[in-house]
Amino acid sequence: MSMAHVKKGFWHRFFFSLDHKDIGLQYLITTMFIAFFAGIFAMVFRIHLAYPDVSIPLFGTIGPKEYNILVTNHGLIMVLWLSMGVLLASAGNFLIPVMLGTDDMAFPKLNKLSYWFFLSSVLVLIASFFMPQKGFGGGWTLYPPLSVGDFGYNTAYKSFAGRFFSSNTFVLLAVALEFVSLLMGGINFMVTLFNKRAKGMGLLQVPMVVWMIVIASVLFMFSVGPLVAGTFMLLLDINAGTGFYDASRGGDPLLWEHLFWFFGHPEVYVILLPGLGILAEVITTNARKTLFGYNLILVLVLIAMVLSLMVWAHHQFVAGIDPRAATVFSILTIIISLPFAGVILSFLATLWKSNLRLTLPMKWALAAIVLFTILGGFTGLHLGAALFDVYAHDTSFVVAHFHYTLIPVVLFSGMAGFYHWFNKFSGRELNRFLGNLHFWLTFIFFNGFGIPLFLLGLAGQPRRYAGYDHIPYLSEGHLPLLREIATISAIILVLSQFIFVFNFIWSAFKGKKISSTNPWESTTLEWQTDSPPPHGNFEVYPVVYHGPYEYNRPDTEKDYLPQNQKL
Amino acid sequence: MKIFPENVSDYGHQIDSLFWIITSVAGLASLIVLFLVFYPVLTRNKQRSKDEIYVKGRGFKQLKWIYLAIFIMAVADFSFLIIESDGWIKIEESLPQEEFHVAVVGKQWLWEVIYPGLDGKLYTADDIKKFNTLIVPKDAVVHIDLSAYDVLHSLFIPHARFKNDCLPGRKITRWVKFTQAGTYPMVCAEMCGIGHSRMIGKVVVLPQAKFQNELAKMYKK
Repeated sequence: MSMAHVKKGFWHRFFFSLDHKDIGLQYLITTMFIAFFAGIFAMVFRIHLAYPDVSIPLFGTIGPKEYNILVTNHGLIMVLWLSMGVLLASAGNFLIPVMLGTDDMAFPKLNKLSYWFFLSSVLVLIASFFMPQKGFGGGWTLYPPLSVGDFGYNTAYKSFAGRFFSSNTFVLLAVALEFVSLLMGGINFMVTLFNKRAKGMGLLQVPMVVWMIVIASVLFMFSVGPLVAGTFMLLLDINAGTGFYDASRGGDPLLWEHLFWFFGHPEVYVILLPGLGILAEVITTNARKTLFGYNLILVLVLIAMVLSLMVWAHHQFVAGIDPRAATVFSILTIIISLPFAGVILSFLATLWKSNLRLTLPMKWALAAIVLFTILGGFTGLHLGAALFDVYAHDTSFVVAHFHYTLIPVVLFSGMAGFYHWFNKFSGRELNRFLGNLHFWLTFIFFNGFGIPLFLLGLAGQPRRYAGYDHIPYLSEGHLPLLREIATISAIILVLSQFIFVFNFIWSAFKGKKISSTNPWESTTLEWQTDSPPPHGNFEVYPVVYHGPYEYNRPDTEKDYLPQNQKL
Repeated sequence: MKIFPENVSDYGHQIDSLFWIITSVAGLASLIVLFLVFYPVLTRNKQRSKDEIYVKGRGFKQLKWIYLAIFIMAVADFSFLIIESDGWIKIEESLPQEEFHVAVVGKQWLWEVIYPGLDGKLYTADDIKKFNTLIVPKDAVVHIDLSAYDVLHSLFIPHARFKNDCLPGRKITRWVKFTQAGTYPMVCAEMCGIGHSRMIGKVVVLPQAKFQNELAKMYKK
């Protein structure tokens, strides 16, 4: 990331470059920019929940309308823009070509176009805050009829122009643009994997993270179609007066829930898989062991991919679907825990009897596994059992559950990857003290936020409420204290991410130059070239002789054998 | 510190105990996961030969522990499903003989409760409409017809472990049987706009005699 290495102007580098590393950086900066707002939103509405009367600088006192807008956009941005933007688009762009030992993506211009679409989706999303509604407040799941209407507060909504220039329309357009962008990106990842591998690299010698990103992209392609159709119908309902989701005119609001979650649940795995891929890289490198059960992991993930297309209605156990259908989805949902249990166990087997190095990326990775498995995965069993979901659905228990799946995957695995690869793509070292501080603050205060939410959910606290103090059963005993702990922790959690932002920017320009191009002594191809890799990635294109994780091979002297080194 | 609100319906304990069953099995599994993470971390400086470390995880012999763990987890999963199915069939799939029938309709942002009039039937001209207060008899199977006028709502009675969405254009009938008299909250659990958090009603559970009195009072008005 240091400018000195690359003789390219600012505009070229940040807007027109076709180099996959530049595009990866553009994705990273764009998603961090928009996630900054989503984090601030979370802070603001958490403050409102614990201290309803406090006036917050720049936001004022939060009313229910502002509260809904903040909650909705926090969810939308974190799930659709941050998670996919970082783990699919940015990580995919940085890693795939250089890990496959090639110069760039298969279609660099399509890659560029996909970023331009991504950027425009972000701009349209930002524009939605400047429409008369001042932002979309119908929940990130966009359930009609609420998302069709004006939430009961805006008269400008009546005319055609009023309906088009509304937050609802703009949010839907932003979602559509982002999907176009990710589809183009996914096609690129796929073609690059299958056509541009280094000489000698078999399909089962590809680093796991590349497989995971490509499988995630394929899953995204399989699942996104119905939602695009659904979004189009929702746009027509808002702008052209159709009634696809309007029960009084023969439509059905439940239709949207099916179309949305047919995409929405695989989406969880679209985010999870790249996260698991990053964990595989960080764990093998630091455990100094080959990945345990490479083939098994691939098979399990492919099984999970197919299953994930058949579990969507577990979001709708009590939404009015036939209870007998819910039974089927409950069984499938519980079954899908098995392949992921296998993947996690393979990682744990990789750690077993290893002389592991407890580096900073490794700390993030281990924390990701522990939090994801114990508090994210196992609470998924609770919710997957339809009977318990009757009680827990739409309570804070669900909120805690999906934060414990998404934050370990996106934040912890993402950070593991960031601290692992930063030196490769910048040529500089990160400040280790700030890195450790960031890790421990994030770890402690994420739990300080999440565990109270589980307890609040079990106490029957419904989610998305702009305050609970007026409800007697939720304002007695220890519950207000739990909300306060969650709020304070969430604030510190968000603020500690600024340590990372500072560390990132400061180290990118002023960090210590690294002395080795392979500081972790890793085997995959990205470590066998300069840091940062030059335009075209390699001076001499590598030829691959081994699988990706040849650590501590008995017939070698050193404890690692790079993929491109002959025995 | 109590985890769940007090249970006042005749099926609530099944939901609570399902939670504790899954939690204890998952808790045990969590201990194993913690051990598998922390033991390698604590023994990371032990001398190990390369032959010991270089394990690829191929073939049944090496993978048997993973297969076994997946199998054990599958057994646990299916026992959850079997335990759950009993309650699910009773609570959601079947409707016991009704002893009182009432309709709750969600509306931005209040609950409209429709009681049958003197004819004892719902959806006739003499129905009585009340807002935000659901009065039901104790120890009787109450059928609740759920629907909505405008957007999605969800009727949630935490103390009874009762929840179901209310959709415009659909009438969904669910049942509940309260075992304890008293006043309990009923809230909206599905985002329904700016008044979502104010959509709070109450369920008043009365012993049979008192309930009949209350009903008679409503008819007089």
